[in-house]
Amino acid sequence: MTTLPGSSDCPRCQKEMGIEMDWFKTVKASTVLDEGSVATEVDGLRVALWAVDGEIYATGNICTHAFAYLTDGHVENGCVECPLHQGLFDIRSGKALRAPVSKDLATFAVKQEDGYVWIDVNTPGPKSEASPAVTSAIGTDDRTLVVVGAGQAGAETVIALRKLGFGGRIVMVGAEPHPPYERPSLSKGLLLGKRKLEDALVFEPDQAEELMLDLKLGATVVAIETEDKTITLEGGESLAYDILILATGARPRELECTGSDNTEIHYLRDLGDAERLGGALRNAGKVAIVGGGFIGLELASAARKLGAEVTVIEAQSRLMTRLLPAGPANHLADIARENGVEIELDAHIINVSDKGVGLSDGRVIEADCIIAGIGAVPNDDLAGPAGIRTAERGGIIVDMVSRTNLPGVYAVGDVAVRQDHSDGPMLRMESWQNARLSAERAARHITKLNPGAEDDPWFWSDLFDITVQIFGHVNADMPVVRRDGEEAPVFMAQDAIGRVRCVIDFGDPSALREAKTLMADGQPLAADGSGARNSEEDDMKHQPIESRFVWPTDGLVSVPDWVYTDKEIYDREVERIFHGRTWNYVGLECEVPSPGDFIRSYVGPTPVVVSRDEDGEVHVFENRCSHRAAEFCRELRGNASEFVCPYHEWSYDLKGNLAGVPFRRGANGAGGMPTDFNPADHGLCKLNVARRGGVVFASYSDDVESFEDYLGDEMLKDYDAVFSGRKLKLLGHYRHTIMGNWKLYPENLKDPYHATLLHTFLVTFGLLVAGNKSAMICDPKGRHSTMASAKSDKAVSEDNKKEMRAYRDGMSLSDKRLMDFVPEFDSPWSVTMQVVWPNLIVQREMNTLGVRQIVPNGPNEFTMIWTMFGYEDDDDEMTRHRLRQGNLMGPAGYLGIEDNEAIKFVQDGMLNSTPARHTVQLDPDVPAGTSETLISEAAIRALYQHWREEMGL
Amino acid sequence: MRELRPTLDKSLKDVKGTLVRARDPAYREAKHEVEAFNAAYCAVLDDGDLEDWPEFFTEDGFYNIVSRENFDYGLPVGLVYCEGKNMMRDRALAIAKTSMFGPRYLRHYMTNTRISEIGENGMIRAETNYMLIEVLSELPSGRIHQAGRMQDVFETQDDGRLLLKSRVAIYDTLLVHNALVLPV
Ligand SMILES: Cc1cc2nc3c(=O)[nH]c(=O)nc-3n(C[C@H](O)[C@H](O)[C@H](O)COP(=O)(O)OP(=O)(O)OC[C@H]3O[C@@H](n4cnc5c(N)ncnc54)[C@H](O)[C@@H]3O)c2cc1C
Ligand code: FES
Ligand SMILES: [Fe+2]
Repeated sequence: MTTLPGSSDCPRCQKEMGIEMDWFKTVKASTVLDEGSVATEVDGLRVALWAVDGEIYATGNICTHAFAYLTDGHVENGCVECPLHQGLFDIRSGKALRAPVSKDLATFAVKQEDGYVWIDVNTPGPKSEASPAVTSAIGTDDRTLVVVGAGQAGAETVIALRKLGFGGRIVMVGAEPHPPYERPSLSKGLLLGKRKLEDALVFEPDQAEELMLDLKLGATVVAIETEDKTITLEGGESLAYDILILATGARPRELECTGSDNTEIHYLRDLGDAERLGGALRNAGKVAIVGGGFIGLELASAARKLGAEVTVIEAQSRLMTRLLPAGPANHLADIARENGVEIELDAHIINVSDKGVGLSDGRVIEADCIIAGIGAVPNDDLAGPAGIRTAERGGIIVDMVSRTNLPGVYAVGDVAVRQDHSDGPMLRMESWQNARLSAERAARHITKLNPGAEDDPWFWSDLFDITVQIFGHVNADMPVVRRDGEEAPVFMAQDAIGRVRCVIDFGDPSALREAKTLMADGQPLAADGSGARNSEEDDMKHQPIESRFVWPTDGLVSVPDWVYTDKEIYDREVERIFHGRTWNYVGLECEVPSPGDFIRSYVGPTPVVVSRDEDGEVHVFENRCSHRAAEFCRELRGNASEFVCPYHEWSYDLKGNLAGVPFRRGANGAGGMPTDFNPADHGLCKLNVARRGGVVFASYSDDVESFEDYLGDEMLKDYDAVFSGRKLKLLGHYRHTIMGNWKLYPENLKDPYHATLLHTFLVTFGLLVAGNKSAMICDPKGRHSTMASAKSDKAVSEDNKKEMRAYRDGMSLSDKRLMDFVPEFDSPWSVTMQVVWPNLIVQREMNTLGVRQIVPNGPNEFTMIWTMFGYEDDDDEMTRHRLRQGNLMGPAGYLGIEDNEAIKFVQDGMLNSTPARHTVQLDPDVPAGTSETLISEAAIRALYQHWREEMGL
Repeated sequence: MRELRPTLDKSLKDVKGTLVRARDPAYREAKHEVEAFNAAYCAVLDDGDLEDWPEFFTEDGFYNIVSRENFDYGLPVGLVYCEGKNMMRDRALAIAKTSMFGPRYLRHYMTNTRISEIGENGMIRAETNYMLIEVLSELPSGRIHQAGRMQDVFETQDDGRLLLKSRVAIYDTLLVHNALVLPV
């Protein structure tokens, strides 16, 4: 043995330096090989021995998350699942693979001698693969990222950022004196003194240094100046940031009633609270807990363990009325009662005093320790004054990648309220898992990665020696099926069509595993609550559409083929989109200028007639006789004083009312309609009509918003630039079919990426250049959009040319008039291609103007009807200019040909090869919505975000 | 140049006059010339020699492919709209050199040639039916792509050649299959 300079004689230090090999003899190798796993103790350490594929491995036996023996867990594929919260470890490497575990297990060197397993607790087992040094990128980025709040979410953000290669400086400012810790054990092990703060720290020893984290503890941030990108600390110090993470968590809601000011009421949020409360509980005889949520019940459990009498006071008629359905909530209450807890329901608090808690029915719940666990209030006070949007009910509003409304400012953890798009629902979650996942989402966005798969929510609580777990999305109104396992029941909450959306488990691992399988299956349960058979094809057909068409878990970055090829999906689109709450283009007013004028048109695939009545009003009705369904109007356009169905000559007025039924009263007193036949009930099916700027839209829906609200302010601007009130002049139509799904057309105009690559013409002749002034703007819902660019005289840069294979130098037009742009619009753009969902594209390609109407004919084909127009005040030369420029567009247009071909190729690919998914990952900076770069698919993702909502898929 | 609002060619509606002219040797001669011209025109397009196509037109020639729907309602919009040979050169170049489209064969048929007027300086007005068959790699059996008629004005050049001063292709097949890539 060599003695190294500076080494001491202390054997512990020598061990740490790995100088000594300490082999301990443990159990027989055959025992391990037979049993698969064996728990043992070596040198005071609890060690697990495992047999994997005939090899023996040794790891620590206690889960790195909470106190549980891993040898009691389930082993599969070389991994062990913790029996308590189903965290997953790789046995060979000790790697933590699945939440809630994040810290790896210790591994130990193993050898076999004399038929026994020997292990060395001072030498780690062989590492499977060296994980790349997280810090190698540090210094590669000159940005400074500041995290406000040194709690779990803030710390997880830092860990994730470094893991993903963020190379900037990171500063974390926290008000508490402690390094970030996980709060769950505050109401569990820590409160009872079973665990120490060190066990709950988020960072492993030395990890903060490894992450090169500048940790400022005991420092409170008092203001954010978003203008100059600084934060101010209490005491006046200010810090500059480029990226700001708000991870300020939440604080307990305070109980307000008579006496609450001068009676000691305990709350539990931080370590100080836990220490005070722990002391109080140990001395308490009678404890009153206000609030029957998870924290309340965990505290009740702790207080019972310490021998106190406990009463839980709950204002509602049962526990957790907002969080859980009655079944599991009542089961929880039963467990508490079995453990000696009194639960007062419907109890209204009038006052608190040193005697206890006074209720409205005059009773006093005697207590020498009062605790309130009545919810938490997000610490969002910094946000409002800094211009960061907050929700009415508290919390900082963020999107699906944890961004606030201000660029470079994120919010994570308990303080964040997630809202995926501007009028979507808001969701604020307070859980260990959400702290971690929201942190990861922010980190992924900052490092320009895709958002990644969305994990289902997961929550756990330890109380009365059992672990309750909630997997998935639940609300109080969901129907619930209960299954009794050997040790405890499991509850499965279902959605409207009977699929298991949430599993609530009370500690029976096998029942839980089975329930989770049913949830993963995505199939509705049979009426008796058993899993539906789903292996046979016949059964599949009877499953509701939602469980047969399931969107990929990695979210909007991939779109499955069935979106474009399936007839059932198409039928649902007709019902929910074209016949749903949308405004559909049907024609231009200049096509029906005078009373009696009409045109045939379509809403989705459904034929309609657009007619102008004697008073100048425009009407839209289905082209289907109310008698025997004949599509009565056959002319493309015309003028009529009434519509007469050719079959039995029922006639309709210009508004679509039934006007005449031949022989309604019969002939010679015989035959005819029943006397109670009322023509008013037999008019044509009429649609609602909206007009703006000379364009006519129709809707089947009676509760659709106004056209202006439907389009929204930003989209109206581009729309009004074309339809400014200048009277339109009709120039003609094109009609063509495309053998592709109809959505590929709007998608094509939400795909600025293709413009410079497919349309060589544009690039060659300088109409569009990568790096040009351009934008891909989406409305907040993601359905409408404008692809815009401003004409430039700039040449294509050498770098960009190289990226564009088809680029051809040295070509120029002989007749330059094609490219002339006569300014005539109130808009910064020379080109706007606007999608008005679902069936209209407004084309303003410099001076050639047109509307394109999409008429789907099933999933694999659609017809496009183009209506080209100018303005009434155009002179002949201007009309000619528009016609000349029209060569760019339409089914023979330089750009039109290529888009039509490309769409056909896409559909062919889907129809003729193995069904799979499309990849739409470009521009992870913008998960969905408006993007500043052309090299982006964010608008396509926004479209599918909306489509999935409309379709309920 | 064609009027912005197209009109029907009235002279063709005169049945008796048409039959009388059909016997007129000058008209018979013109018909042969136009047919020979069209045969050459179709051959160039069918062979895909797109860049030769403008050579059938005068320098100020006009070319338009318009749907019967638009034509009948007096609407000027056309699938292709070229004022002057330069615009035709640009189209030929753009389609031949920059456009992306699937491979295809096109076959033109021009029949039923009617000469409606022989004017001064060798001007000939003619109408001819046309049919265009397209064959695509995914559609090897082919299909009719367009059927319609050409409304033409020819100009006799100093060397005796005919050139088109105006050709308006009026197609009856209103619904275009996917895209019309090449001129008709
Ligand atoms: C008692 C208790 C038990 C729980 N049990 C469970 C459980 O069993 N399962 C589960 O899933 N979840 C549980 N949770 C929830 C979970 O702990 C939280 O969701 C999680 O801690 C949220 O992390 P955070 O970083 O958003 O907030 P926090 O962890 O609260 O961190 C926020 C930090 O920011 C600091 N801060 C605030 N304002 C400022 C400022 N202006 N300047 C500087 N610093 C500031 C705060 O002091 C705090 O340290 C429990 C929570 C509590 C309190
Ligand atoms: S105790 Fe092991 S996963 Fe929680
Ligand atoms: Fe395009």
